[in-house]
Amino acid sequence: MITKWQICRIPIKGQHLFTGLLIAFFLLIGHVKAGVLVAPTVVFMDEHKRTGRITVQNPSDEPREVTIRMSFGLPTSDSLGNVFVNLQDSGITDIKAATSWVKPFPRKMLLQPGATQVVRFVARPPKDLVDGEYWARVVVTSQEGKTSLPSASAEGQISTVLNMIMQTAIMLKYRQGDQVAHLKLNGVEASQEDTLVNVIVDLSSTGNASYVGMMHCRLYNADKQEIGYRRFDLAVYHDLKRRVTFPIASYTNSGPYSFELFITPDGRKDIAAEYLIRGNDIEYSVTVP
Amino acid sequence: MAENYSTTYSYSIVTSQRLHQWLKTTLLVFSLLIVVAGSGMAQDVAVGQATATVLATLTVSATAALAFGNVYQGVTSTIANNNASAGVFTITGAASSGIMIFMALPNYVALADGSDRMTISFSSTDASVDTLGAGNPTTMAAGSGFQNINPHNFPAAAVIGAGGTTNIYLGGKVLPTIDQTAGAYTGDIILTVAYTGN
Repeated sequence: MITKWQICRIPIKGQHLFTGLLIAFFLLIGHVKAGVLVAPTVVFMDEHKRTGRITVQNPSDEPREVTIRMSFGLPTSDSLGNVFVNLQDSGITDIKAATSWVKPFPRKMLLQPGATQVVRFVARPPKDLVDGEYWARVVVTSQEGKTSLPSASAEGQISTVLNMIMQTAIMLKYRQGDQVAHLKLNGVEASQEDTLVNVIVDLSSTGNASYVGMMHCRLYNADKQEIGYRRFDLAVYHDLKRRVTFPIASYTNSGPYSFELFITPDGRKDIAAEYLIRGNDIEYSVTVP
Repeated sequence: MAENYSTTYSYSIVTSQRLHQWLKTTLLVFSLLIVVAGSGMAQDVAVGQATATVLATLTVSATAALAFGNVYQGVTSTIANNNASAGVFTITGAASSGIMIFMALPNYVALADGSDRMTISFSSTDASVDTLGAGNPTTMAAGSGFQNINPHNFPAAAVIGAGGTTNIYLGGKVLPTIDQTAGAYTGDIILTVAYTGN
């Protein structure tokens, strides 16, 4: 039986919930307001659709000068499994680079507060382009956040103004003909150091397109209980070593530990399914020595 | 007594219905605002004739500049990365995604006419990466990222925080000489961010 108190209480709770959500929403908007937004984070083009686009938005209260340039940089790694992206503007030798034949328009713009600008890309690939995927980085540079320090008008004063310049480097992929995404597991090195289990997963892309997927890593104790889980977005263009670290301070003397790896092209939320080239799954497990 | 109760009961139902109606209306407006704000994951949605494509985003912004204020000839000025005057960069994107962070830092700042310049330096502990995204260099909690690290070499394990935001705090030092020319010195700090998983 619904009482008077219950009838009145339900909407009031909802009202409070709504107020909380509204505050959270405006906090989010306030947060986003400070910078230049770029979307999407990967641009796809192909031989049938040689144009692409990104949207640059200025949600801040001041005009922003934005420049667009093409660069090159793939996720690579060192021998310890640290992953980097080294941007190259010149001296690019990778035959898969599309940097020289994809052009952005416009390259420079002044975005008024709240304005949105579409930047288009046009590909003019060589005629004898071999089937596969070709890559470039789109670097979006914006300048903002100048200090509000007064200029040194008084005699003898020294002031500094540091311009904070932001660059966002997003991937552009051009696809020609048939593409295959395939990943090869070269090996897994697992070791225990004090209170850590370190694993280095050695991978190579053997298809003519990049392998994009998810890497799921699990650590089990001697009783086969899961004591650690890590998940990564994975993109392999040529070769890549990926380090995974599990702290085991809370599980000392519960070894020997075993490491389980599962790599799958499924589960990516940042790339629409129509753009994913489905590659192979990889499953592997090893006992940590 | 019973009559009074009945009256109060009816009034409560009317109030409840109005509140429900108000809640429905405001939630609808709220939902529309979220769609307009549009910062989410890639997903195509089609209902009837209305379609919307939500795209993954990456936002990098300078929330606060590294502010040394006025400095004096021959007096070195240092700002720690946990100081309120530290520079703050904010990265917003897909939660828990791996990112590459590269910072190009100046060796000096110069007068606009180039007639004099002043040394600026960044030590191997002048940066912190806050994956909780608090946005305040003075309140960064231990274990919420990387503290006191080298701004010339950010860790490869950097990620966007679970809340979708990561802050970078930057300190530094300017070293005016004893005969430093008075004036406003400028320099550029360039932060580059890229996803490592796409």
